[in-house]
Amino acid sequence: MNKLYKYKHLVTAYIVSFVAIGVTIIPITWLFLLSIKSKGETFTKPPKFLFNPTAQNYIDLWDNDLFKDTFFNSVFITLISITLSIIIAIFAAYALKRYKIRFKTAFMQWLLLAYMLPEFLFVLPMFAIYQSIGIYDTYIGMALIYQVHVLPFSIWMLRSFLEEIPKEIDDAAYLDGCNPFQAIYKIYLPLIIPGIVATAILNGIWVWNELAIALGLTFFDAQPITVGVASFRGYASINWGGMTGSAIISMIPMILFAAFAQKHIVKGLTLGSVKG
Amino acid sequence: MKQTPYFFILPSILILAFTSLYPICYSIYYSFFNWRWGNEKDFVGISNYIFLLTDKDFWIIIKNTFVFAFFACLIEIILGVLLAIYIDRIKYGSTIIRTLLLIPLMISGISVTMLFKVILDNMFGIVPYFLSFIGIKSNFFGSYDAAMPTIIGLDVWWQTSFVFIIILAGFQSIPSEPIEAAKMDGASEWEITRYIRLPMIRSLLFLVLIFRSIDTLKVFDIIWGTTGGGPGLATEALQTYAYRVAYSFLEMSKSMTVMVLFSIVVIFLTITYSRFNKDI
Repeated sequence: MNKLYKYKHLVTAYIVSFVAIGVTIIPITWLFLLSIKSKGETFTKPPKFLFNPTAQNYIDLWDNDLFKDTFFNSVFITLISITLSIIIAIFAAYALKRYKIRFKTAFMQWLLLAYMLPEFLFVLPMFAIYQSIGIYDTYIGMALIYQVHVLPFSIWMLRSFLEEIPKEIDDAAYLDGCNPFQAIYKIYLPLIIPGIVATAILNGIWVWNELAIALGLTFFDAQPITVGVASFRGYASINWGGMTGSAIISMIPMILFAAFAQKHIVKGLTLGSVKG
Repeated sequence: MKQTPYFFILPSILILAFTSLYPICYSIYYSFFNWRWGNEKDFVGISNYIFLLTDKDFWIIIKNTFVFAFFACLIEIILGVLLAIYIDRIKYGSTIIRTLLLIPLMISGISVTMLFKVILDNMFGIVPYFLSFIGIKSNFFGSYDAAMPTIIGLDVWWQTSFVFIIILAGFQSIPSEPIEAAKMDGASEWEITRYIRLPMIRSLLFLVLIFRSIDTLKVFDIIWGTTGGGPGLATEALQTYAYRVAYSFLEMSKSMTVMVLFSIVVIFLTITYSRFNKDI
C-alpha cells in the first residue's frame, strides 16, 4: 500500500514535468518549423506537418546586411561588456573579501540598487552625455552603460566564489611574499576560473538579450541583435520569414551557453546567495 | 598598504557613479524643467510632477503596471513552487528536465514577443486556428479585454522557470533528517511540504518575490514588441509610457519625471529586500 502510494506520487511528478516541458518546448519548436518552411507553405490551413524544409529564410537573413551587422554588433558589445566587468570586478571582489572596508554595507546596497534600477532611467541622461562626448551609437558606449547591471552582478558573483576559498591560502601567499596583484593573479584567478566563466556567461546572456537601453542609445553602427529582431515586427506588411528566422538565430547562442553554465545558474540568479 | 583595498574598489565606484548616480541626478534635475526635444529648457518647479499625478491617464498606467506585476508574480510564484514541489521528487532525469525548463529564461523578451506574435496571430496563428474549431473567434493582442491577460501569459511562459529553479535548489538543500522523522511519524507528502519544506525556504521565497516584483514592474520588451501599450491604454506600463513620452511626444522632462517617480518605488523595494537579507 505504502509502495503504491509512493509510486503514484512519482508518476504525478513525471506527468507534471512532461506537461511543463511540452508547454516550454512546443512553441519554440513550432517557431523553428515555421522558419524552415518555404514562403508558400508557412501558413497553409490546415497547417502542414510534413514539408520540404528550406534554409531560404536563413539565407535571406545572411544576405540582409542590416540584420547580419546587428548580430556581429551584439557579439562585440557582449564581449567588451563582459571583459570590462570581469577585470574591474575581480579587484573589487578581492578587496571585499580580503580587507575590512569602511562603508562596505553601503557599497553592497549600492550595487544591488544599481542592478535593480529600471532601464529607461539611463537612456535620456546617457543619450545627452554620449552625444556630447561622441560615444553615442558605439560599442564602447553600450558596453559602458551595461556596466550598471553587469558590474554589480560580477562583483556579487566573484565575491561569493572567492568566499569559498579558505583564508589560509591567502595568508600563505602573503607569507611567501606575494603582493596583492600576485596573489590575485597567481593564487585566486586559477581557483575561480569556473566562477569567472559562469559569471561571464550569465552577464553575456543579459547583455545579448537587452532591448530598452539599446533602443535609446544606438541608431545604426552599434545596433544589437534585439533591435535587429525587433525591426521585423512591422505592422503593415509582416516579413514572417524574417521574424521567425531572426528570433531563432538570436536564441541559439544563449541556449547553448546556458547549457554550459547550468551548474552555476542558480547561484547567478540569486546574486550568489544560494549555492547551485 | 592601508589604501590598497580602496584602490581596488575605486574603478568600480567610478563606473557605477557615472552609470547610476549621474543618470539619477540628471533625471531629477531636468524633471523640474519643461524640456521638449529641440526647444529651450525652462525651469518650471514641480509642475511636471503635478501634471502627472493629476493626470487620469497616468493613474491608469500606474494601475496597469501594478495589475500586470501582481498577476504575473502571483501566477509565476504559484506555478514555479508547484513545479518545484513535483520535480523535487524526481531522481532520474531531473537534470535534463531542469535544463529544458530553463530555456525560456535564456531567450530575449523581443524573441518571446516574436514567438507569440506568430503563434497567436489572428489570421495566421496556430492557436486562433484551433480555437476557431470550437467557435471561438480570438483576438489576443488587439482586443481591450484580452490584451493584458495575454501579456501576463507571455511573462508567465517566459519567467516561471526563474521561480522554479531557485525554489527547487532551495528544496534540495534542505537536510533530509526532519523529513525522514516526519515520515516516520506518518506525515503525508503534502503535510511535509506544507509544514517543513516551505517554511524552511521562507527567505528564498522572499527573494523570489522581491526579484520578480521589481522585474515585472519594469516590464518593457514584451509590451513594446506586441501591443505597444494598446489598444488604447489597455497595456501601457510605466517604462513603455516613459519611452513613448520621450520618443513620440518628445517631452523629455516629463519622461524623466515618470522614471524618477518609478525609480523611487524600485529603490523602496530594493531597500526593503536588503534589510531582510543578512548577506548585505
